Amino acid sequence: MNDQEIIDLINTTLANEFELNIDDMVPGAVLKDDLGLDSLDRVDMVIVLEKAFSFKIREEEAIREIHTLGDIHNFVIHKKQEME
Amino acid sequence: MSTICPKVIYLAATVVMNIVAYPAIIVWTVLGIIIFPFGFVLCKAFTGWEGDRIMRHFVWIYGRGWLFLMAPFVRFKREGFRDRKISAPCIMVINHLSFFDTYCMALLPVSNIAFTIRSWPFKMPWYAPFMRLANYLDLETIGWDGAFKAGNRVLSKGGSLLFFPEGHRSKDGQIQRFYSGPFKLAVETGVPIQPLCITGTEVLLPPNRWWFLPATICLRALHQVSPKEFTGETAHGDLRKHVKNLMTENLQEMRENLKK
Repeated sequence: MNDQEIIDLINTTLANEFELNIDDMVPGAVLKDDLGLDSLDRVDMVIVLEKAFSFKIREEEAIREIHTLGDIHNFVIHKKQEME
Repeated sequence: MSTICPKVIYLAATVVMNIVAYPAIIVWTVLGIIIFPFGFVLCKAFTGWEGDRIMRHFVWIYGRGWLFLMAPFVRFKREGFRDRKISAPCIMVINHLSFFDTYCMALLPVSNIAFTIRSWPFKMPWYAPFMRLANYLDLETIGWDGAFKAGNRVLSKGGSLLFFPEGHRSKDGQIQRFYSGPFKLAVETGVPIQPLCITGTEVLLPPNRWWFLPATICLRALHQVSPKEFTGETAHGDLRKHVKNLMTENLQEMRENLKK
């Protein structure tokens, strides 16, 4: 899976789970202010990403530093590289 | 001539409604504020209810008064209440179209309901003390952790909770994205979800308009949904999607019925 495929999978997974408009899924989108994801959604976001990418990330400190969709893209791409 | 008359009547009704309704609501609110302390003491003495339970009942009576004041201009309909029992406690979820959706909750046959709302209604000084006495939940201030604790307290005392899962009023009348909070609380507590659908308040007073229009308002109760049917890590998400689908189907049907 290349980086663009990872980004596309993240975007479609989150858009489906949280009923977001795929056009709003840009890297600069702030999770809280632009996508309207609250604290509970962030917990759910971790669960759906774990399911989509078959990894465990809920204990990772870096998750707390995520503020934008771009941060998620980078985090997941980095995590996938670590696993390979 | 036959097409002009209904339009003229509608226009006249709209003008009269806006001249009469707002002052009537203000008078009713002031009257409520004056009478409430006496009613509270009497209610406490004769029913033995706790303060928050009494306050919620007074809010319901206030809402009934609002329904009475609006009745000359607004047709109120209830559906699904005869064959579907609203067993308490439950977690009610309803679509959100107008500021006056909360007033329409006086159409419900139960009064022991704590509303979970955003911070701004608590800034209305004429309502805020009563909302605090009724133990309404200010979601924006207390956050989800606080809301779960406060919600659990309400449910454990037999009260029900009411959520607007969309978080804010719909600007186009269409149902919006649902947040997970009420569904997560339902899964954690095992308390059923009571879906409610409302139509017509977006005609009465949508966001970004301050004058009333005559309307037909319909409140429909759907069957309660048990969270026990949903398991696993994604239970609350699955419950949320299931309830939203039910509400979307029913809202579509209600709007089609209105056109007939």
